Amino acid sequence: MKIFRVNMTNLTVTVEDVPQEWQGFGGRALTSAIIAKEVEPGCHALGAGNKLVFAPGLLSGTTAPSSGRMSVGGKSPLTGTIKESNVGGTASQKLARLGVKALIIEGQPQGDGFYSLHLDKNGIKIEEDKVLAGRGNYEVIKKLDEKYNEKIGIITIGQAGERKMLSANISIKDPDGGLRSAGRGGLGAVMGSKKIKYITIDDTEAPGVPVADPEKFKEAARVFAKGLTEHPVTGQGLPTYGTNVLVNIVNEAGGLPTRNFSTGRFDGANKISGETMYDIIVSRNGKPTHACHPGCVIRCSQVYNDKDGNYLTSGFEYETIWAFGADCCIDDLDIIARADRICDDIGIDTIETAVTIGVAMEGGVIPFGDGEGLLNLMGEIEKGSYLGRILGNGAEFTGKAFGVTRVPAVKGQAIPAYDPRSVKGIGITYATTTMGADHTAGYSVATNILKVGGDIDPLAKEGNLELSRNLQIATAAVDSTGLCLFVAFCILDNAEAFQAIIDMLNAQYGLSLTADDVTELGKTVLRTERAFNQGAGFTSRHDRLPEFFKKEACPPHNAVWDFTDEEIDAFWNF
Amino acid sequence: MELEIRLFTGLKCNNQELPCYGKQEFFLDVPEGTTVRELHRLLGIDPKTSLISLINGLSRPDEWVLKNKDRVGIFPPVGGG
Ligand code: SF4
Repeated sequence: MKIFRVNMTNLTVTVEDVPQEWQGFGGRALTSAIIAKEVEPGCHALGAGNKLVFAPGLLSGTTAPSSGRMSVGGKSPLTGTIKESNVGGTASQKLARLGVKALIIEGQPQGDGFYSLHLDKNGIKIEEDKVLAGRGNYEVIKKLDEKYNEKIGIITIGQAGERKMLSANISIKDPDGGLRSAGRGGLGAVMGSKKIKYITIDDTEAPGVPVADPEKFKEAARVFAKGLTEHPVTGQGLPTYGTNVLVNIVNEAGGLPTRNFSTGRFDGANKISGETMYDIIVSRNGKPTHACHPGCVIRCSQVYNDKDGNYLTSGFEYETIWAFGADCCIDDLDIIARADRICDDIGIDTIETAVTIGVAMEGGVIPFGDGEGLLNLMGEIEKGSYLGRILGNGAEFTGKAFGVTRVPAVKGQAIPAYDPRSVKGIGITYATTTMGADHTAGYSVATNILKVGGDIDPLAKEGNLELSRNLQIATAAVDSTGLCLFVAFCILDNAEAFQAIIDMLNAQYGLSLTADDVTELGKTVLRTERAFNQGAGFTSRHDRLPEFFKKEACPPHNAVWDFTDEEIDAFWNF
Repeated sequence: MELEIRLFTGLKCNNQELPCYGKQEFFLDVPEGTTVRELHRLLGIDPKTSLISLINGLSRPDEWVLKNKDRVGIFPPVGGG
């Protein structure tokens, strides 16, 4: 495999051998290693000095189940930290089959025009784009499917990325022409700053991914697939109800942030729950079960149709539904689905955007619960009006614009769907992760609320720091394999399935890794990322939750955030 | 004593002799001292399914003794994120 480097300053492409030190890396381990080595931490994230890196996971492109995840890395314009955003869709497998270990985009062209990249078995072509700039992601996909064919892999930014809004994401086409997002941290703005509107990937006659011991690989993949399909969460819960099954349990546990994080239960929870959504999807001939890439056996995604049975959105996730729903006090799934569709089309992170609207509601821009008002605000972002540009820059920016003090964000990134006062393990993750508030970095909710991988009291401090640390280390490793993080629900409970992952890696690369090596890889990733952040000026004082979590009790448990600074700082003792 | 019960994610009351048969959200009178496990059995929920029982928003073990006016939520294994 090779590293493909696109220099947008002089519009050249080079192909390089993978240095020895990066041979064992893929996904997040590789994007973070490249950014840490090649990007000056103090650079402006939207300037020529930043780089954007795409890296398929170590197992991507093979037959390993649920292994088509890709990491996108760079310095985040939203947080100022290093960023890895993990995404499904078909791009990862196609890049891997074309022998792309990583695609690095650097420099910045002169002028206002946009470009496109086309990757195929002959290499990379850079072309000027005169047609699709200014267009939404759905139109980009439609036009490119017409130009090439429906199999073409697509990575694209919408108007939000072109305008360099700090919440802009990068969208990846899924197998049915829907969109998956490298959502968090504004990497779409970085792609916009490089003046790349879209990347097409044609893997026709691609060499494919070599596997050192195909028999061993096949056997390990079989054991892994069996583990996933037999576990009640990855085999039943997620395929049937999707991630949105969480609304009811998190609400019942008093941790569903409601009304801009002022309480932990939402009266309308059941109306926006996964169970209700399932009934709506089935009644409108949508798809309750859908895979975001070929070969995912968990298939947590879905296709949600409007009242007339026409496609409205897909990959309709818990986080999105919570944020536009409970956090903004909207109990109408159709309004939330329309907001999600606009986010996908203009290419903006749903979590950041919806939490931002919650903050704007608190600031009096529109009342809580005003669904039509919410869609109007989405329209402002789409138009790029001055108000839209404020909102498109995220929760912290908007909080400042409207004088709001209850702004749920860490290191500039909006806090997702679990109140840290009532789910303390996830609070530690929000505070300490190198990414800015991010639930996926160390999903303590699994053990605090869902009782997967043990049972640790969500309201007490005991055990939660260690829980978050262990999960963050394991996650950094999983994010490097190309496996979807949701495999964790299975491997936390099933040692055989966990071993199967190591067996697959060993069979593919001809290695003899042990579980300890995997843990070491996770630690190395976290240390690399932290060192970058320290270079960018971050200290332990940034590993803190906003003040209001300490001062305002969260009903129904009336919990407050009570970890001391010293306790939080012990996180990094590993 | 009276309990406020919500069953989620496909679970429902399977006991034909109860007024809440087939329902997911209901109030139910049960004898004093009823445990979480006894409630599962009373509602006819398959004991092989590993359940999460939240009593007033807090996860409680199957031997937990319920009290009058408790809010009970019962879930099969779920995940997401
Ligand atoms: S479990 Fe869901 S998010 Fe993960 S790879 Fe499968 S469809 Fe995509």
